[in-house]
Order: sequence, then structure tokens, then C-alpha cells
Amino acid sequence: MKIVVCIKQVPGVSSVKIDPETKRLIRDGIISVINPFDYYALEEALRLRELHGGTVTALSMGPQKAELALREAIALGTDSAVLLCDRRFAGSDTWATSYVLALAVEKLGDVDLVLCGRQAIDGDTAQVGPGIAAHMKDWPHAAGVSAINGFADGILSVKRMTDNGYDECLLKIPAILSVNKEINQPRVPRLKGWLRSEHVPIEIWDADQIGADTNLLGLNGSPTRVVRTAPPVSRDKKTRLFEGSEAESAAQLLHELRMISAI
Amino acid sequence: MDLNQKRCRLEVSPPRQASEKLTERLDRFAAKYNKAADAGYCVCITDNAMGNPTFQGHELIQELRLSVCSGQVMIHLNTFHTLSDLRWILDSCAELGIKEILVVSGDGSPRLPRLKPSEIACSSASVTSVELIAYIRRIYGNEFIIGAAFNQYEPEEHEIFKLDRKIEAGAEFMITQPMLKPDALVEKAMNTSGIPFIIEAWMSPNVKLLSDCIGCDIECREAFDPVECFESLRKAYPDNEFYLALLDFKTQFDEL
Repeated sequence: MKIVVCIKQVPGVSSVKIDPETKRLIRDGIISVINPFDYYALEEALRLRELHGGTVTALSMGPQKAELALREAIALGTDSAVLLCDRRFAGSDTWATSYVLALAVEKLGDVDLVLCGRQAIDGDTAQVGPGIAAHMKDWPHAAGVSAINGFADGILSVKRMTDNGYDECLLKIPAILSVNKEINQPRVPRLKGWLRSEHVPIEIWDADQIGADTNLLGLNGSPTRVVRTAPPVSRDKKTRLFEGSEAESAAQLLHELRMISAI
Repeated sequence: MDLNQKRCRLEVSPPRQASEKLTERLDRFAAKYNKAADAGYCVCITDNAMGNPTFQGHELIQELRLSVCSGQVMIHLNTFHTLSDLRWILDSCAELGIKEILVVSGDGSPRLPRLKPSEIACSSASVTSVELIAYIRRIYGNEFIIGAAFNQYEPEEHEIFKLDRKIEAGAEFMITQPMLKPDALVEKAMNTSGIPFIIEAWMSPNVKLLSDCIGCDIECREAFDPVECFESLRKAYPDNEFYLALLDFKTQFDEL
């Protein structure tokens, strides 16, 4: 089975800042990590390879520094990695990004399965997986996949989380899956893997190498317009009030949390 | 228990995963490890401190071909591992002849899997250092000398209760949280527990960082001199071993 895993390098902090002018994330000075959901896609790909043989390729669109995310994917066990890096990709929304990734999948050739994390934690759209499927025309796609139940005769059986619970779908490969966190427990790379990753060359492809129509890239190829950004509304939680001054209340809270070993 | 004769344990942080210049970082780690070991100290290697994924001590020792002298290496082990990784760490330590394991609950992060009670056949709601100590004792018998952490900044009743549970589970020595001055709770615990206490000294001039690490404010009105503080703790606790956290190998090592 030839598997491609799409990964994204995202800011490694929960409190990101947004440029008020461009409405885009300020990424300078922030540690970058692999999008947490993508670890689950990588893990599932590695498990499928262990079961059915084949290869796993990590694929990412991003700046040069996204190479570190791909090195981590190799450290985890992928056979190869491709970075899609070109200034003309900058500013791409999920639709233009999906287009680039789909072209790269086509260029890789004979791909049986594309795995994506459910969503990226920076944009939170969950649109790239379905977007790749849309660009790949007749490739079936399942989102919210929480288990791969089986694979035989070119048919994948997957358990999918829906708004009403779960269902099971059958997909004929080549197919695309967006996976959620229920699907597995991702491994942590080992030093041997990191040392190996230093010797695996990462291919870097630009727009020309994947045969992209430059009108469909970057801001020009992106139908999305961010007109306003706002912090999310906080969710309702159960509350418990402590008596006393602020300091006393804080001390009580700290004590309670420690007594239950929550911190 | 044969604890290190030089009576100092030096914490050496392993390189972080997903960091640039891996080879340089590995070389720096090896240099610190060898410097401490050659001088006869016990090298203590942390386990994903503050929830940041780092390399495991045993794999660094294996890959960098570092020597393990008896009683001169202590590995930290926390509860944020899969069972297979936990066994990998412990089996490797046993093979390498690493005897001392400091078991702590540890700092998690979304990237690090927490050991599940069902995986180690315990009935508690979660796995803490107590359950992990009991598991290691059950599976590995007396293969390791197991230590645990004593947090004098926690509420006394809670910490004494946990101390008893850790000892009952199989802990043979305790390491305090970093101390800046003698502490009554540590002394009470030392006198009643009957097991060795290793005093942790904070070797960074940044006391604010210590407050951040332990989660409560540590008062320090004057400019903090870590070496001076260490000396005063040595005088206060002449019979105890010491664990030195965040030691600056360039400027402080020769002053020990």
C-alpha cells in the first residue's frame, strides 16, 4: 500500500497572535510543531504499513523551516518526505492548499491512500482533507475516521464519527481519510529515528515541478476572505466558589487540585 | 543502598526532540555527562521535563556509547509513556546496569501518552508515581533502587500521606524539591520516614523560574547566589546527599 500523509507545521503555543492588518497568524518567534492531529494520521499510516506492507510518504506545504516537521515524520518512521515550498504558495487558503497537495499526490503516482489529521489547530477549518478529495475528482473521502476496521480486495472499512454517533463506510482505494484522535495512540520518536532522519533526503518541489496553474495558487487562487477575527466564546463550565479573600480562595483551589493530584 | 560516595548528583537535561542542530546538542550532552561521571558524580537524566519531549537517558547512553559506572547514573521516569515504551526504558536500563530510577508523576503534554491504570493492572483512577513504583517492584523485583520525589511545597497532610504510600509501594529514597533554605517539613519527613533524603539545591540564579517550576511563589528578597545557597544547605544537612538542578557546567562545576 502506497500511503501519503499530509502534515502541517503549526505554532506550538495555544495563545497565538493575529496580525490585525492581514488577519493572518503571526508566526515569527514562535516555536513550530507538527499539527497535533497529524500525528494520528502518521501513526495510522505506519500501522497500516506494518500490517499490509508498502511505503509511507510525508507531504507538507510550507516554508523551508517546515523541513523540521518532515524530519520528525521520518524520525517516526516514514520512508520519505516531500516539502512543497514556493513563494507563490504563500497566502493560500484551504482550497488552494488542497489543490497543491492534490497535484503533489498525483506527481507521487500510484498512491493508494492519503491520510490527513482532522483539522489543523491554527486554522481549525477541517477543509484540507475534503479539499484534496474534491481536487482528486473521483477519489472517495471519509472525515472523522476513528478506526480502520479492515482492508481487503482494495476496499477499506472505516468507522466514522458523525454528529449522531458513528457509522461504518466502505471506500474503494485510492481514497482519502481525515482521522480524529480516537483512532490510535501516536508513538513518540526515538533517537535512532532522529539520527536516521538526518540521512534521508527531503525532496523539495515548487509550483513548476508539480505543474501548478499559478492562477490557482496563493491569494489569487483563494476564494476565502477573512473579514473579521475574534476570540472564541468560552464554554460553560461547572463552577465552585471558595470563601475568603482572593489569596485565600486561590490557596484553597490550589490545595483542592493538589489533593486530587490534578496538578 | 549504596549511594554515590561524592554525595552530589548532577542533573543533566537531555536534548529536546524536534530541535535544530541535533548533533551539536548530542555532543554537548555527552560532554556534560562525561565531565560529571569522570569527576565521580552521579549523572541524573530527566524524563520529558515540563512536558517537553526529549530523548530518553538510556537511548542517549546507548547511541553515544557513554559508559555507565556503578552508582553513577540515575534515570528519571514519569507516568507519561505507553506501556511498551516504559518496558523499553526499564529493560534497557537493566541491560545497561543502570540501577537508580527516580519515579515521578511527571509533567504531561498532549503529545505524551499517559500510562493507563488498566495497562499496569491497578485499580486507581489514574497512574501516579505511587502506582508506577508498585508496578516496577512487581515486575522487576529488586533490579532497581527506586527513588521518589518529596514536595515540601505541597500541603503537609497530603505530602506526608503520599510519602507513606510511596514508601509502601517500594521507594527506597526521596529527593526533595529544590530548597533555598532548611525546611521544617523536610526535616520532619526525614526523621519519621526512615529512608535517605537527598536534598535538591537550585543552582540557577533565576528564582522566578523555580517558582514557575513548582507552581508557588518562592520569596527571595536578596540577589540569589546559588553556590552560596548550596554551601549553606550542606552545612545545614551535613549527612545528606545533594541533587543539583540546573547546574552551570561552565561556571559552577569547578566550585563544587
